[in-house]
Amino acid sequence: MSKVFSEEQRDCLQELINVAMGLASDKLARFLNTFVHLQVPAIELVSSAQIPAEFETRYSSTDSALVSQGFLGNDGLRGEAIVLYQLENAHRIAALLGYETDSISELEMLTDISSILTTTFLNGLATQIDNSLSYSAPRVLSSRQGNVAQALLETAYHWELALKVDISYQLIDHSFNCDMLLLIPGEAVVNIQQILTRILEEY
Amino acid sequence: MTLPVLICDDSLLARKQVRKSLPEFFDADILTAGNGVEALAILRSQEIGLVFLDLTMPELDGIGVLEAIKQEGMDCFVIVISADIQPEMQKRVTELGALAFIHKPVNPEKLVVILKQYGLI
Repeated sequence: MSKVFSEEQRDCLQELINVAMGLASDKLARFLNTFVHLQVPAIELVSSAQIPAEFETRYSSTDSALVSQGFLGNDGLRGEAIVLYQLENAHRIAALLGYETDSISELEMLTDISSILTTTFLNGLATQIDNSLSYSAPRVLSSRQGNVAQALLETAYHWELALKVDISYQLIDHSFNCDMLLLIPGEAVVNIQQILTRILEEY
Repeated sequence: MTLPVLICDDSLLARKQVRKSLPEFFDADILTAGNGVEALAILRSQEIGLVFLDLTMPELDGIGVLEAIKQEGMDCFVIVISADIQPEMQKRVTELGALAFIHKPVNPEKLVVILKQYGLI
């Protein structure tokens, strides 16, 4: 990412993401009725072709799930948000929330958490850049129903770039990790650079 | 009288946002720090009247800074400006002696209200 963005632009993007993540964490904490230790999410912009290989090891060895949701905003802002979970992690959260452990409510829970993470996060990001987003219905796939790695491969194929956001939530008695990927079109880099430059010029 | 002010945040953008949010007539001598360790080094070496403090930072976070300020009895006002907006976090920083808690990105009008409230402007 250092090649794509200047150090000032990278700092700006990181701060926008930190603020958006703060909003998502607050929402998650209220939803789970607990306190969430917020860590600065590591971000990286990579070619989406790298994504399947990078995540295959982490998500094919254990039961996992993928939730994807398309987003569309003004000025051609569009993409697809993906949240990847290891189901073992998700079960701990399910227990906290009192969800039954049958597979239907498990999918329901994953959709709820993903929706909090992605829509709150993306709305927070959009507000900061004076944009607003609409979303498609989330699509959920658990490794019990299909091949998560294959679904990731097929989804990533439609896009050129991926903004990786490593999310690690530490709850008081539980730890919970997931990965969020924002798949975006290649020309988005120029848009992002323009947005960051505009924000930096304001200050 | 010029007020010595410290802006502590690991993000350059956030430090600039705070600086730009201060009213023009606010007579301040502004120093900056990129993490809690740098902030404490400044606070221990000179008189600072007001600190704008971020919470989530590398090296030493804002909570660590507030604890040190309290423990060492440093005489300065602290306004926390944070992306971590959970009610429990707001409660924690207030208990540690922070005057106010402002959500990021900082809202200049809100900041002025707080500065007025505590007679800083």
